[in-house]
Amino acid sequence: MDTVLIQAIVNGILLGGVYAAYSAGFSLIFGVMGVVNLAHGELIMLGAFTSYWLFQYFGMDPYLSLPFAMIFLFGFGYIVQKYIINRVIELPHIMSYILTFGIHLMVANIALKLWTHDFRTITTSYSGANAAFLGLNVPYARLITFFIALLVIGTLWFFLSRTETGRAIRATSMDKEVARLMGVDIREIYAVTFGVGSAITGLAGAAISPFEIISPEMGLQYTIIAFCVVVLGGMGYMPGALWGGMILGVAQSLAVTYLSAGISVAVTFFILFVMLIVRPTGIVGKGLVT
Amino acid sequence: MNSQAYRVKFWMCFIVASVATSLVPFFTSSEYILRIVTVVIFWIGMAGCWNIMSGYTGYIDFGPVVYFGIGSYATAIGMTKYGMPFFPSAVLSGIISVLIALPIGITTLRLRGAYFAIATFAFAETMKQVVLEFDRTFGVSFFQGSHGITLPIGGHDNTFFFYCFLAVTFGVILVHYGIEHSKFGYGLKAIHEAEGAAEIAGVNTTGVKLRAYVNSAFFLGVLGGIEAYWITYITPGDVFNVHKTVQMVIMTLLGGMGTFLGPIIGASFLTVLSEILGTAFVEYYLIMVGAIIITVILIMPRGVVGTIEEWSGIRFH
Repeated sequence: MDTVLIQAIVNGILLGGVYAAYSAGFSLIFGVMGVVNLAHGELIMLGAFTSYWLFQYFGMDPYLSLPFAMIFLFGFGYIVQKYIINRVIELPHIMSYILTFGIHLMVANIALKLWTHDFRTITTSYSGANAAFLGLNVPYARLITFFIALLVIGTLWFFLSRTETGRAIRATSMDKEVARLMGVDIREIYAVTFGVGSAITGLAGAAISPFEIISPEMGLQYTIIAFCVVVLGGMGYMPGALWGGMILGVAQSLAVTYLSAGISVAVTFFILFVMLIVRPTGIVGKGLVT
Repeated sequence: MNSQAYRVKFWMCFIVASVATSLVPFFTSSEYILRIVTVVIFWIGMAGCWNIMSGYTGYIDFGPVVYFGIGSYATAIGMTKYGMPFFPSAVLSGIISVLIALPIGITTLRLRGAYFAIATFAFAETMKQVVLEFDRTFGVSFFQGSHGITLPIGGHDNTFFFYCFLAVTFGVILVHYGIEHSKFGYGLKAIHEAEGAAEIAGVNTTGVKLRAYVNSAFFLGVLGGIEAYWITYITPGDVFNVHKTVQMVIMTLLGGMGTFLGPIIGASFLTVLSEILGTAFVEYYLIMVGAIIITVILIMPRGVVGTIEEWSGIRFH
């Protein structure tokens, strides 16, 4: 195999890990509540901006700002679910799609008002630095973010399967009526779930800030990618985000290398479309089907 | 209300409304007013198309704009590349939309809930990217990519487009009429209530859904064709813009999904509102639209029509 191909695959895997990190929250929120969160990209945007402002005013390294982004977005998500989305959660799901779209419009445009259209970047001492071995180039920042992504998904898995709250969340997603009978406060669990989903998404947003362009309008494209990743991996099936992320990352990277950057987006959607028709439960077949 | 009385009432209202609307250009000399009325009629048609499919069946189509875009491009290419006159191009737009909607409908309508929404959305975005990148990727000059296509200027005034849109919107309204109190309409509503039960009761669910989907695709295609000729310049980013979809959804939702009057009320209200807000608060416009969406969903999730019905006990359909 030639170096170009291997490089493309390596890039794809690094990209895929990041995709997985910011899609896991989307999958969690859908799996538990059936809410397709169209404001998902805004959570990433807020995470990235948290990191940006901490860097700008306090000179904090973007990777050190992760806990702040996480705490801030947990609070944000918790409040949004508790006081807004919970009010329509019993209605048909379409209401929640449109409601979250309204949230997307508001958050994105308020951010635009506050922070203008400017494209911003965070330039650290290690920006643009590469680890080179065997003729391959791996940017340090992407590598670090890749490992953080894996860590986040691992921690999420641990939280869901080994803690009291995590079990309550899983119970609610399996059967909310029975969970309620077992003494689970459903609405509180929904708020916590959205909070946790937002927190890991915000964390992912902060983690991509060292090498991605930050702007108030960045959100929608990330929502779309999260869509694709989660469908490829299986909606509501957590480890699926990792599968979906890797497949999409590698596919996009190959399309960019061998076709063109513009057509790689079309390739993404084409894969998504075919996947939905052929295998709506995701690549490992463990997603939820409504 | 029995079916006969409904028919009489419908045709009376329809004739009064259509005569009244058709006369608008004679009563106003203001191009501004005429333009706004034209835009309102255009959006009633658009929201109505979405309502035919998603409002009645509850299948949330997040990609209806794709047929609008296909229609725009069909008219643009027909007129510029093949020198076709406007009217045949607009009808051809509708037919091409139908031809694309058939296979897409057959495949995606098997999906339910969020999956259908995402699949239609993905299809719309795919088409946008294909139109955007086709020329560059294959080294041809057909869709003109991001340069867009400039249509020939026919020298028609706003009144011409007013009547074009009005004709199509009447078509959409007549489809709604065909839905209310017909076997087709009961089929759609049965799918909304309980698809499995409808199927067991003998409704050809796939056929009924496909018919609604194709109907809405046809009118969207024609609307796209007319709009392209009206605006005279189209780009993939504009005609496939996801915000068009969103606007159709919000207008219908605001008025009342799966109701006859829903799209009419929602489209009129939102177009006029955005005209006022858009001129008065240009910078805060989208924030306000977001706030309105959230408020409407929280306060009257059944839309204006549903809420009034609830309060007054009167049923409009």
